[in-house]
Amino acid sequence: MVNPSETGMVDPRIFEELQNKIDEDAEVREQIRAIVQTLERQGRGAQSILSRAHSTPAAHLKPVLDAAEGAIKEEVASIKSLSDVASSSPYYKYNGLWTRDVQNVIFSILLCGWLGGMAHNGKAAEAGRLLTIEDVGAILDGTLIPIFQRLKLTISVPVNLKDRDAFHISIEEYLQSLITLIEELARLAVNSVTLGDYQRPLQISQFVKDLHAGFQILNLKNDSLRRRSDSIKYNVKKIEDIVYDLSLRNLVSKS
Amino acid sequence: MEPLPPTEAMSELSITSHPQSKSESESMSEQMSGIKRDHNGVKKEKEVNASPFMPMFEAFRDELDEHHDRRERIIKASRDITAANIPPKIALETAERYTAMQKQFSAIAADLTGINAWRYQRQISGGIQEYMEAVSFEHYLKHQRLITISEAAGTLQEGIELTGDDYVLGLFDLVGELMRFAITAMATTGSLPGGGGDGGRRDVLVDLRELRTCFQALDTGSCGGTGLGKDVEKKMEVMKTCVEKVESAVYGLIIRGEGKAEGLGSGYC
Repeated sequence: MVNPSETGMVDPRIFEELQNKIDEDAEVREQIRAIVQTLERQGRGAQSILSRAHSTPAAHLKPVLDAAEGAIKEEVASIKSLSDVASSSPYYKYNGLWTRDVQNVIFSILLCGWLGGMAHNGKAAEAGRLLTIEDVGAILDGTLIPIFQRLKLTISVPVNLKDRDAFHISIEEYLQSLITLIEELARLAVNSVTLGDYQRPLQISQFVKDLHAGFQILNLKNDSLRRRSDSIKYNVKKIEDIVYDLSLRNLVSKS
Repeated sequence: MEPLPPTEAMSELSITSHPQSKSESESMSEQMSGIKRDHNGVKKEKEVNASPFMPMFEAFRDELDEHHDRRERIIKASRDITAANIPPKIALETAERYTAMQKQFSAIAADLTGINAWRYQRQISGGIQEYMEAVSFEHYLKHQRLITISEAAGTLQEGIELTGDDYVLGLFDLVGELMRFAITAMATTGSLPGGGGDGGRRDVLVDLRELRTCFQALDTGSCGGTGLGKDVEKKMEVMKTCVEKVESAVYGLIIRGEGKAEGLGSGYC
């Protein structure tokens, strides 16, 4: 029953606290936004450097890759500060604020790695290779390993991360970046021919087909990942057409 | 994890896509056009195994399958919680309703632990708000006080997080509940609950107005499109309407006399 000494229904502290919470959240969001803005600018820089690969013969890629690695290094520094700020909040609370730009960074790393850059952890750079999500995590920061619940192919991932809430790269982000990589490689296949490189389209074709096969076993729901992954088959076809043209004109050796 | 049979996949698809839009056949064909699990012909399998990336993708597939399963379970529970939140006619029913909701929460508590509490926030948020509405109403009936966030969080299954946003948004719905309560009481007893004749006591309308004042003072301008910012505007309007309905019901009671709060019973928010 009502206690006569209590005057109102609402304890005024309730709404004071709520307001504090709202204001605190707004501040965190502001901090994250500032970093994301930097990341966005750096991302554009890195991608503009990497796009020079389309007009540079494979043999002369070194300066492009060096410049790209420099740009990626700056992005990595931003991700580090993002991780510092974001770590004080639950990962998924603000994840939507940065995911797009983090995907961009991952894509730059993947493309640079495929082109033959991004040597790390004693692993030599080699053109045509796929950096795994663990590689990306290691490049971004030793601590920035993805949280997997039971992924066995990792070496350095601590076990039992199930209940740890920390900044990380999600599978979805990595897959989104892979799709962007595929789109970019389809363009590179065309431009390789223009540069007189008839072997690279074959290499791209095999690589993209292998990725496509991987995507095919995923049970994707009606989400953005599925919508975007639908584009993979068109890129596969685009690249196959190039290989077809090259074969037809006897521009590639038949093995 | 084994791929789900197509029929099950279809029903899941209809959950994630827009609720009552699109016919089933349409969403079916949409699904078929994608590259999906219905490719288990022998020839394909062989090709699939040739890719060096398969172990990686298999691990991804398992992770994503788990994620989707959790997500579906949470969406379903959230809907069931909403379904269980039927306006009670008598105070006794609030307890039953409460238990029904609790049961749903315990079914998904494991899916919402640790990092996943926020991961599925958008899926569970609706259910939590419904629960907040029910629990704050029950608390009001018992104590005539507004439940605090820690009191409310304490009644929830361990592991289920009550965010500030869901707390406030649930409280907005409490106003509707209180309106229903006030109007029903006026229609049946001819007076406003709580107040009675004994002077100094607060009645429901006093409390409703106090809530309204608190809500209106809350500055959510900084929230942007997230959580609170998205829903608060609409809920604020509904809340105001509810308070005003009780105000005019009380007015009607005074004008027309006790027991004749007519024209007010039907327009619940």
